[in-house]
Amino acid sequence: MFFFSLIIGGLASGSLYAMVGIAIVLVLQASDIPNFAQGEMAMFSTFVGYWILQQYNVSWWSAVLLSLLFAAVLGVAVQQLVIRPLLGRPTMNLVIATLGLNIVLHSLAGMIWGNETHIFPSPLSDALPLNVAGLTIPPMNVFIILVGVALILCLTFIIRKTRAGIALRAASQNQAVARLMGISINRAFAVAWGLGGLAGGIAGVLVAPVLFLDTNMMGLLLIKGFAGGVLGGLNSLGGVFAGGLFLGVIENLMGAYISGSFGEALVFLLIIGVLIVAPEGVFGRVRTRKV
Amino acid sequence: MADAKKHTGRAVVVLVGLVVLTAPFWMSGYPVYVLSLVGIFGLVAIGLNFLTGYAGQISLGHAGFFAIGAYTTALLTKKAGLPFVLSLPLAGVFATAVGAVAALPALRLKNLYLAIATLGFGVVVQKLLFEWQSLTGGGAGLEVPAPRLGPIVLSTAGHMYYLILAVVILGTWAALNIARTGSGRAMVMVRESEVAAGCLGISVAKYKVIAFSLSGFYTAIAGGLYCYLVRYINPESFNIHMSITFLSMIVIGGLGTIPGSLLGAVFYVLAPELFRGIKDAPGLVFGLSLVVVMVLMPKGLWGFVGRLWRRA
Repeated sequence: MFFFSLIIGGLASGSLYAMVGIAIVLVLQASDIPNFAQGEMAMFSTFVGYWILQQYNVSWWSAVLLSLLFAAVLGVAVQQLVIRPLLGRPTMNLVIATLGLNIVLHSLAGMIWGNETHIFPSPLSDALPLNVAGLTIPPMNVFIILVGVALILCLTFIIRKTRAGIALRAASQNQAVARLMGISINRAFAVAWGLGGLAGGIAGVLVAPVLFLDTNMMGLLLIKGFAGGVLGGLNSLGGVFAGGLFLGVIENLMGAYISGSFGEALVFLLIIGVLIVAPEGVFGRVRTRKV
Repeated sequence: MADAKKHTGRAVVVLVGLVVLTAPFWMSGYPVYVLSLVGIFGLVAIGLNFLTGYAGQISLGHAGFFAIGAYTTALLTKKAGLPFVLSLPLAGVFATAVGAVAALPALRLKNLYLAIATLGFGVVVQKLLFEWQSLTGGGAGLEVPAPRLGPIVLSTAGHMYYLILAVVILGTWAALNIARTGSGRAMVMVRESEVAAGCLGISVAKYKVIAFSLSGFYTAIAGGLYCYLVRYINPESFNIHMSITFLSMIVIGGLGTIPGSLLGAVFYVLAPELFRGIKDAPGLVFGLSLVVVMVLMPKGLWGFVGRLWRRA
């Protein structure tokens, strides 16, 4: 029984990793930039939601909706203001720019809302724990897993079937040809950053009620998001999702059965081991390159 | 015109050299300590630049090498009773070996995959230091006494400063030579194209291992010096943020250049010191300056200096 509740808890935290991972991969696939500011962007938008809840007498859902809107707009704004002028530069420069942005957002949030811990209300605070076959499951865990699955389905649909998604895929495959087909690269990238901001923002408002709300809450989640994405393979959303879930579960199991504090190190050893065998992640395709 | 330019260049070099050489005589303890930190992080930057700037292999785990250097030096001196002059290079040698092992995943991994694998290396080292309490003291940290060079005890900030300065000068000289001779050029070739490097008879695997080892060596030496400058180390400080700041240091300074490495260290240590006066905002200003430097100076500070110089 204990084992199964560990699995469910792992799936819930894994879904959060997966959402951050998906946010990162959306941006990475489109514009080839590992966005290290993704975590703090999500933290910032969650704070905006919290602020709306505090200031105005609105329901949890509308506050969160506004926060997610802000997250998407922030994604687009970052792309237009910081990333666009840097396009064509070496990737490393872009990485450092997003790291700088990460620090900026972190200290800005600290200046506005303080560095103390806030309590972010949960939408399911009244719901009773679910009882399935003698197993007590916190409703928030179920909610997180369901949102994760819904997010991956929606994003896959958007990317596969809608005009914006097709434009996005074209732009990420070959910019020159996409431009010749009348696709605005800039708009496609903006869509990717907006969707990335949205996915990160969803992870933010889901993790805040579970843990707490403070400026550091996304730091570890960002790294786990990257790690889960790398584990699954960065070139498919499904792979990233699976990688995140796997990471969450394995981390929970190792933490419980082997060593609480050394569990994290073991997880990374495992990731390194997996990468040595499968250098592009478990579900990744190894790109063959003509010389 | 060209003559005037040459003279200005020389004057700047001489002036900087004089300031650096005489600093402990007219500066108070804290600025000397800050300059010592610049030297230490300069060594880290040179080491990381060999790996990332020259050989093109990203690392988000260099805090691990830094920690290995700090702890190995401290433990060899404190627990094994070796003299500091011996334990410091031994720590470097140990990190070189660790670097060679850490290079193995790099033989197959690229970009973000390599970044996460090296990040994992850093996490593993940090957790090991936390958990191996009988050896490292765990989360309580480790205090070290003032180092001795034979009969001399390096007790003041000035003493440590000159020791660090000597190591930095030696390290820079060696780095400049490595960079422009065979190994350095081979690394650049590996960065530019592994296939082309292979076709020229450069063993890609060998030079990746060399780059990791060399990088580990420099970073560990810096770690050993850091330990004895600060006199107290704790596994907590060797975290992912440290690895990330190391990386931003070399990109800000200039990837693949030795002077750029030192300039990046200067920026990394001095910028937050300068912004300390601005209330509540050192992080904000530092983060903004990272973005601004990247937008305005694509080749980092050293590239910018070069551009100014050519225009002048």
